[in-house]
Amino acid sequence: MKYSYNWLQTYFKETLPSPEILADKITFHSSEIEELIPLDSDTILDIKILPDKSAWLMSHRGMAREVANILQLPMQNDPLVAEPNLVKSDQIQIELNSKNCDFYSSSLLEGVKVGPSPAWLKNQLEVIGQRSINNIVDATNYIMFGLGQPLHAFDADKLGNENGVYKITVRQAVLGEEIIVLTGETYKLNQNDAVVVDQVSGNLIGIAGVKGGQVAAVDVNTKNILLESAHFDRVAVRKTAKRLKLQTDAAKRFENGISRQTSAIAMRELVQKVIDLAGGKVLVQSFAGEFSESRKTVTCSIEKLNSVLGLNLAEAEVEKILQSFGAVTSTVTGGEIKLTPSFERDDLVLAEDLIEDIGRIYGFHHIKSVVPEKDTVHKFNQRFFYAEKIRQALIGLGFSEVYTSSFRNQDKVKLENALASDKQFLRSTLTQNLIEARQLNIPHRELLGLSAVKVFEIGNVFNIKDEEFRVALGVQSGTAYKAKVDEPILLAALQAVETTLEKEPELLYNQEGIVEFSLDKLITSLKAVEAYETLVFHEPKQYRTFSLFPAISRDIAMWVPEDTEVQTILDLLQENSGSTGVLVSHLDTFTKEGKTSHAFRLVFQAFDRTLRDDEVEVVMEQIYQQVATAGFEVR
Amino acid sequence: MSQMIAEINSIFSEIGFVFAEGPEREKISFNFDALNVPNDHPSRDMQDTFYLENDPEMVMRTHTSPVQIRYMKENNLPIKMICPGKVFRNEATDATHEAQFFQLEGLMVGKGVSMGQLKGTIEYFFSKFFNGEVEVRFRPSFFPFVEPGVEVDMMIKKNEYNKLSGRWIEIMGAGMVHPNVLQAAGIDAGVYQGFAFGMGIDRLAVLKYGVDDIRLMYNGDLRFVNQF
Repeated sequence: MKYSYNWLQTYFKETLPSPEILADKITFHSSEIEELIPLDSDTILDIKILPDKSAWLMSHRGMAREVANILQLPMQNDPLVAEPNLVKSDQIQIELNSKNCDFYSSSLLEGVKVGPSPAWLKNQLEVIGQRSINNIVDATNYIMFGLGQPLHAFDADKLGNENGVYKITVRQAVLGEEIIVLTGETYKLNQNDAVVVDQVSGNLIGIAGVKGGQVAAVDVNTKNILLESAHFDRVAVRKTAKRLKLQTDAAKRFENGISRQTSAIAMRELVQKVIDLAGGKVLVQSFAGEFSESRKTVTCSIEKLNSVLGLNLAEAEVEKILQSFGAVTSTVTGGEIKLTPSFERDDLVLAEDLIEDIGRIYGFHHIKSVVPEKDTVHKFNQRFFYAEKIRQALIGLGFSEVYTSSFRNQDKVKLENALASDKQFLRSTLTQNLIEARQLNIPHRELLGLSAVKVFEIGNVFNIKDEEFRVALGVQSGTAYKAKVDEPILLAALQAVETTLEKEPELLYNQEGIVEFSLDKLITSLKAVEAYETLVFHEPKQYRTFSLFPAISRDIAMWVPEDTEVQTILDLLQENSGSTGVLVSHLDTFTKEGKTSHAFRLVFQAFDRTLRDDEVEVVMEQIYQQVATAGFEVR
Repeated sequence: MSQMIAEINSIFSEIGFVFAEGPEREKISFNFDALNVPNDHPSRDMQDTFYLENDPEMVMRTHTSPVQIRYMKENNLPIKMICPGKVFRNEATDATHEAQFFQLEGLMVGKGVSMGQLKGTIEYFFSKFFNGEVEVRFRPSFFPFVEPGVEVDMMIKKNEYNKLSGRWIEIMGAGMVHPNVLQAAGIDAGVYQGFAFGMGIDRLAVLKYGVDDIRLMYNGDLRFVNQF
């Protein structure tokens, strides 16, 4: 949520520290700052409010309370301190016929003058990303972003009344019932949604806690208004908003469980704000349901507090931290902390909740590291151990390990909400993915300096019920699979696996250079693990971005004097292969009549384009010349 | 990836953390409910989930935390374990997000286990993994399965050869195991307490190897794989 620094300042007599310092304090004692946005005469703090604190922190007053705790500053102008001033009257008859609503209050104001909001209010809403609409709607939004309570204003003359008596009912919707909301869209409701109904006309005037109806919208001609401040069930609002895809600011606050006592207070604040902005006077007010809310006392021993946090706080220190908590009562005596939270704090229930709050307000930076003791592991993970052994064996034979998607376009088990149509199913084999991975790499063989693409994957596959840990290997040297060349490579690899496991794996798939077997099936028959292999750590290699454009390769063979080192020639070729030369490799050597011939392959590739043959020719010409200059004879 | 998991295991086994695993297709009750993420609570929105069409009880696990639940249920205290593994999130992919990625989580439960031990353990691991003295700091945060919950930043001690060094890097989430989670796993939260932490292994690759697009780790392209 976006918070205005100036708005937060209104809750304090003392000048707050600079926005940067305040942001830092909030970061290390409360919530993550997503962005600090400096404006001409204000600064916006965009703060990420997480679900545990959303019920009370998603408002300027809530954040001011937090700042008061952190900076140990007294708050001023705190609307939550004064009691609500609601009265009941028969002139507004409120009926709560829904399990989703336990409190509803309403105020009838006459003679309001709808118009644009004053500049300060327009600005105050605009800086936190809200559009100004008119003074009435802006008042409801201002109080919502101030206190966190969603509010609504109806045009009273668009509601029915019986001799001046208004009848508002909150009930469950009937399956198929429809409502046109403020923004003009029609929504189809069901019996799990709660609606606000004008009982006299029978019109639906709002989807409870989510959005107001169009039928009683405030417009430029509105004279009399009926204000709503209510408390709707968090789960019900969440379900309705989710199903209708109407994630409004109101719904977001209700689903996080805002306190219902806040809604009674917000009505008092709203009425005052409307009169200030649009004139008029209160004709009558009423409410139904219970609004007062009290929290249970939370208890925690100092011993437990220190044991969990790894601190050594004394009673007096804890007492000092709790002083500015704004709690109803708090005591620290006899090694025990007792705290009764203020009504809006639904997140202080367990001792652990209290520990967190004391810890973060005091500051987690006080926690000292405890260096872990050396210890040995007595339980070994068979699957990890043997997967690792297989890996080492295969990598030793020049295989590369790939990780591929667990999702496929067609298979046995279907996802309910896939990301893409070709990723709708869980893979039941590794084979298909491995065929694709092998194919993907065939064009890059020369670039990679590989005579054959040799890949393997170790991972889970999914049947209807069970899940299996499998291994698959794939080999291909040419553009197509050639049994004569590829089969021996694969057999050697399988042999290595068998040697490693001291067991012959049963092949579930064996075709065209791909084999797959289940490690789970073998695992119980393998030797028990007594220790993990010791690892040799290497300095980590830094990844280098590769070009996505095709490579071109050229072979060169030359006669050289017998005592010439291969490295000397490699260096020569490397130096002269230009900016597009990416790989030089030695292919073969043979000696005939006292002369030695070496063959090399050069691979060229550009980062920004597909290289043309003629560009490579220019480089090769240069290389031929340099080779000749060095006294070698190009064949 | 495998190289990193092996290194992670090697470092943690020096301080007695056991390598544990669990299924990738997990019971909803283990993935959420037992981890103090109730149904119809906003905290469920924190992780976009893949559900299965004909199996309303199951999800593709969104974290490896259900392995912690399984491990706590099946093993005696005290517990020290890590659980690296593949997890799934139903979110759009880009250079820093994949719908399938690897996570590393760790758990220690016993008598008097504290946030000081959490801090020390994380510092020990990162110091070894990044080959330099590492300091960590906590920022308050929220994960339903821990209380207190923190975001962890790390800083490798300034050294001219390491461009990661000398600055704070956001690296993982952690906290003290929520008593509801301990209870769900059959542990008396009045007697025992513990810490848990979790991070993306991809993020470690980004930092350690300079990988600029984590999707490369999961598409089988040897132009990437063969660099390591």
